[in-house]
Amino acid sequence: MTARSLGTFVVLFPHERAKQGVDCMDEKRIDEDKAAEGKCDTPKTCVAEKKGISEDWMALWIGLFLFILSLGIFAGTDILGWGVTTSVWTDASKALAPIAKDFQGIKGDITKIDGQKLTLKKADGKEETVTVKEDTSQLKVGEKYEKKGLTGFMSLLYTYLFLLVVMTIAATALKANIGKFIFGFTVVFWVSYICWIIGSWANIAVTTPPDMKKFGISWSLKLTAEAGFIVALIAGLIVGNFFQGIGKAIKEAVRPELYIKTAIVILGGFLGVVAAEKLGLATAVMFRGLCAIVEAYLIYWALVYLVARKYFKFSKEWAAPLASGISICGVSAAIATGGAIRARPIVPIMVSSLVVIFAVVELLVLPFLAENFLWKEPMVAGAWMGLAVKTDGAAVASGAVTESLVRAKALAMEGVNYKEGWIVGAAATVKVFIDVFIGVWAFVLAIIWCSVIECKPGERVRVVEIWHRFPKFVIGYVITFFVILYIGIKFPGLMGKTKAAMGEGNVFRGIFFTMTFFTIGVVSNFKKLWEEGIGKLAAVYLLCLFGFIIWIGLFISWLFFHGVKPPVITG
Amino acid sequence: MAERAKAESATTEQPKLAEELKKMEYEPLLPVEKKLIGWSIGLGTGLIFILYWVSVTFFPGGH
Repeated sequence: MTARSLGTFVVLFPHERAKQGVDCMDEKRIDEDKAAEGKCDTPKTCVAEKKGISEDWMALWIGLFLFILSLGIFAGTDILGWGVTTSVWTDASKALAPIAKDFQGIKGDITKIDGQKLTLKKADGKEETVTVKEDTSQLKVGEKYEKKGLTGFMSLLYTYLFLLVVMTIAATALKANIGKFIFGFTVVFWVSYICWIIGSWANIAVTTPPDMKKFGISWSLKLTAEAGFIVALIAGLIVGNFFQGIGKAIKEAVRPELYIKTAIVILGGFLGVVAAEKLGLATAVMFRGLCAIVEAYLIYWALVYLVARKYFKFSKEWAAPLASGISICGVSAAIATGGAIRARPIVPIMVSSLVVIFAVVELLVLPFLAENFLWKEPMVAGAWMGLAVKTDGAAVASGAVTESLVRAKALAMEGVNYKEGWIVGAAATVKVFIDVFIGVWAFVLAIIWCSVIECKPGERVRVVEIWHRFPKFVIGYVITFFVILYIGIKFPGLMGKTKAAMGEGNVFRGIFFTMTFFTIGVVSNFKKLWEEGIGKLAAVYLLCLFGFIIWIGLFISWLFFHGVKPPVITG
Repeated sequence: MAERAKAESATTEQPKLAEELKKMEYEPLLPVEKKLIGWSIGLGTGLIFILYWVSVTFFPGGH
């Protein structure tokens, strides 16, 4: 158990507490993972049990493990090459394939032999050049050549089995119910991946007329291949709101925070490659992201607090966590602030349950707004997702959807092909900075509260709380980012291998993303909005979020990111 | 008896949101809170200009 995952409501030893008559609820620690995943809605069910390590630390270890395996390419060992990747398809049987060429099968007539390179004419009439290991002197032009490889389905099956083993070990460390986890993870994985495959159907995904011609289709929803994320989210929402029995049965593996944090650790390496290619731009994006969140913290929080206190007549105990939850980073911030001002646990828990629901609404709406109005300012769009959408999962997920929609629109409208990774990178950068500063913000609030507003008996403000609230998965993100950045800058000759390695890691990042979307849907129970008494909370949330948080976020993002464009792919 | 105790325990352990909000007493906005809000927004507004200048001057985004 780590204090980061638990909103800390305890600062006193039992004998001190008894002496000073502190409210017993102050002893309770809220399990932030549970709250963020909508698995609890009362102080009783949200209390952390002292078992296992936190999902925060676990995401760090899983992400680093996959990252290290992907680096096998540098040692000449393609450890993750069998991982499954999905292409846009019109024939579902051809949608899946292993990520690495070495694992793919190929068949055709030899048209050219050049050393170890063979050019083959395949059954579909297309030519492909492959590098082979066998003695090519025995081969002749015109002969048939076939190399057996993994089928797409077997690649998917291996990917599932591998992740099942890794995640079951993780579940053991998290002290989950293993039987239920294996069942739940199996459902989560297969449903998520099927949604991903559906989203890659050409009639849903293809965005440009040349591609429509290439696939031989007359219409397309033009949602890009990332439409699979939306399909997964909708599937999750259906399960979470209409088939709650299924949701309960798979609950043990419904862990959107674990999945997204693992994905963010892997994303660090991918963004390292992106940054190494344009270091100056990457530095600018990071600094501007930092500026944006400083502004957001100072302006958002104070405005929401004012609205909640003055116009909705909330007490200080309710207004402060509400302000943090709505304005900063949802669940983590609400719980951290609740701890800082020593609110009773019910306050941040109720705020958290609203945060989870409204984050899904934002996730469904904002990327499409960004596509329509910000496609000429892609980095503004990415940073906006990081600033406006609450919870790590929904924010980075929104960044991913926004990136694909904005890139596709820019390509279709102006023929500009922005490099992948920069828009989601802006969203992730802003979100990671927000996460890092939650502890600092809670610390500052605790000092202000205790010194000038209301100091409860026995309250102590400790600097160590900043570390306790520090999101540990960020350490993994920083490690993967800087390791790859270092390799990219110091050894530019290895860039090809670095890209291949991160490409393989990216396969798993995509799968964790998709599982995040599905499980976010499962935990978003909109019936919560009908609960007695939630109306007033929901009203202040709606008013602040859609009244000014989103728009101030847009202004701040525009201010710091307008004119900053991702590199363009030419040729 | 046992059921009543159970119900009481459930009530104490799982406070209802509606009841909690009803129990909430009106607390007028204190001058110190107004000051906190004012300082926070003022600092944020002031920093906008400084941070914008720093980012444009030292971290240009054009490439």
